[in-house]
Amino acid sequence: MTYTTRMEPKEPIPVSLFFTCLADAFSPGVCSATVAVLERFGAAVRVPLSQTCCGQPAFNSGNRKEARAMARKILLSFPDDGYIVTPSGSCAGMVKHGYPVLFRDEPATLARARAVGERVFELSQFLVDVLGVTDPKSDFSGKVTYHDSCHLRRGLGVTSAPRKLLRAIPGVEFVEMEESDRCCGFGGVFSVKHPQISCKMTEHKVERILATGASYVTSGDLGCLLNIGGLISRIGYPVKAIHLAEILAGKHPGVPAEAPPGAKEGGR
Amino acid sequence: MEVKANAFARNARKALLDKTLQEALGRTTERFLAHRNAAVAAFSGFEETRERASRIKRDVLDHLDTYLARFIAEAEKRGAIVHVARDAAQAREIAARIARDEGVTLAVKSKSMASEEISFNEALQGVGVTVVESDLGEFIIQLAGEAPSHIIAPAVHKTREQVSRLFERHLGTPRTDSIPELVGMARKHLRGKFLSAGMGVSGGNFLVADTGSVVIVTNEGNGRMGTVLPRVHLAVVGIEKVIPRMADLPTFLRLLPRSASGQTISSYVSIVTGTRRAGDLEGPERMHILLLDCGRSAILEGKYREVLKCVRCAACLNACPVYQSVGGHAYGWVYSGPIGAVLTPLLVGLPEAAALPDASTLCGACAEVCPVKIPLPDYLLELRSDAREQGLKTPGEIAAMKGYAGVMRRAGLLEAIERIAGVLGRFFTKGKGIGGLPYPFSGWTERRDFPVPAERPFRKMWKIRRGAREETR
Repeated sequence: MTYTTRMEPKEPIPVSLFFTCLADAFSPGVCSATVAVLERFGAAVRVPLSQTCCGQPAFNSGNRKEARAMARKILLSFPDDGYIVTPSGSCAGMVKHGYPVLFRDEPATLARARAVGERVFELSQFLVDVLGVTDPKSDFSGKVTYHDSCHLRRGLGVTSAPRKLLRAIPGVEFVEMEESDRCCGFGGVFSVKHPQISCKMTEHKVERILATGASYVTSGDLGCLLNIGGLISRIGYPVKAIHLAEILAGKHPGVPAEAPPGAKEGGR
Repeated sequence: MEVKANAFARNARKALLDKTLQEALGRTTERFLAHRNAAVAAFSGFEETRERASRIKRDVLDHLDTYLARFIAEAEKRGAIVHVARDAAQAREIAARIARDEGVTLAVKSKSMASEEISFNEALQGVGVTVVESDLGEFIIQLAGEAPSHIIAPAVHKTREQVSRLFERHLGTPRTDSIPELVGMARKHLRGKFLSAGMGVSGGNFLVADTGSVVIVTNEGNGRMGTVLPRVHLAVVGIEKVIPRMADLPTFLRLLPRSASGQTISSYVSIVTGTRRAGDLEGPERMHILLLDCGRSAILEGKYREVLKCVRCAACLNACPVYQSVGGHAYGWVYSGPIGAVLTPLLVGLPEAAALPDASTLCGACAEVCPVKIPLPDYLLELRSDAREQGLKTPGEIAAMKGYAGVMRRAGLLEAIERIAGVLGRFFTKGKGIGGLPYPFSGWTERRDFPVPAERPFRKMWKIRRGAREETR
């Protein structure tokens, strides 16, 4: 089975959701929105609940022993086939590029990491490149600008997919910000170790966002959005940080992730 | 030069509060970067040239001893005297001996980062030789008694007003805010030095193995004047700067000025090949080449060898949002920005500079612009891992990492913690952002809110949905 060609639309598309610990704990709505969008385009979504954190904060701070422990758990959490889709360029990049480094001296785990990594896609990348979605069928409306998260853009090379999707939403007025690919200053552990530098970079980013006059800033990574949103909320700027998945899902996601009691099984 | 790299956090905070520095930094890095991007966009062969340069450099690293031997033989054949220094102390000793033996009392020096590594000026001053920096930026910071804060724009942190005051004090010139006037003052002062100096000191951008040439890329012409006017020329160059053939030089000349300043070609490219021959109109009577190992062969043996491909263009500095925010001095040694964060720990030892690899968000902008494709973010990650293995991390960080990994090994425990955090978060913040967190997160919330944990984590929501589905089956 190859994972780069589009599957027949009639077939149910097996997708495991890699929901990320950050969204799980801070923005579960992002996970629900991801499920809604995936189901809208014919995915049979499975959610392995044994997954926790991909280990990136430990890996990025040089604590590889701990990172390996978490990575092993992720590798065991996902089934042996089907796509793995995540609303995060950063976490996808960790599995695809970080795990092979972590397990470079363990051939068996390395093989597993590579096999899993090949099946991992960031949400917008999956929708556009794998499913061939051209219209996300979202009823979201508002003026939106897009922040290229470093790991989605430079790590996975995804720049056009999120923009294509945003531009295809009739209610969305899409506007580019200057330096959309400049780091927002989050950097995970960096923002804790060097908060002043981090904040200086966030202020730069927020200036660029405000200059667009957009009501929403969106991105493919929640880390950036929590960081940017934290500055926005402190000052009270008239702009909202919102994850791309939530914009794609729209105001009334077709299939609520949290179905009311007695609801029928959604999708397939 | 004294290593203060581990004071990065403190230096950075100081830099962030320095309004003049902040203005100058923003302006300069933005300009360099914009020019670089425009020059690269206008050069359709950039990617291909970059790939070729990277390949040539890799070949050099694979056969460094062979190419160096060839370079030395060819340079000596053309009258140069080649010295090799194992470390900084030996390099200083050799430099001082050369100056003494040549009877030099005044030396003019063009820009050289390698000479900063070995504290060249101090070494010569120690034996009674005056060294005058002739690159305008270097001249300014020499008057100020400071170190370069940028590889190609060493005085980027100085305003014209500060420069005018420095000139007034040291050269006795009247105050002015006209840059051309300031440049004129420096030129006039330096011209006298060029004419009376017994030795010209330069760095070297490339050493060409098949001709024994030292190639110097400058914009001010001081490099050329300093290598042809004085009787003696001393070039101080790292061993990794060798390239196999003169035919390889154009590849690098296409990349270096574009990456550095956005120029198609720099104003001067000097190819200095041996001493003055009979019939030559100009050129040094004596030429010394001081090759620096200073930790480079050790780097060559290890997992960071590609860092030796660096051509010192400083594109990674200009592209780095951390460098843009704090400038070069924060890095506490000769090299700054992403290349400094990698190179400094490798040259001075990780214990002396373990703070530097942490001075990056790993955004990858540096690797994107590097003309010789050095995997800088990968190396930063690797150095952070080395720091852990060498016992250079704080017990607090290790304990936090162990605790966090311990929680993440059990999804059930994580969910329990998430739910408790969710309840506490709602209770204390009423759903708004968290405005103040205790150390070590207090810095985070100084000017930003921290997100509130959701009342119900997604994993719980999913269980509810799944439960609901199963009921209807």
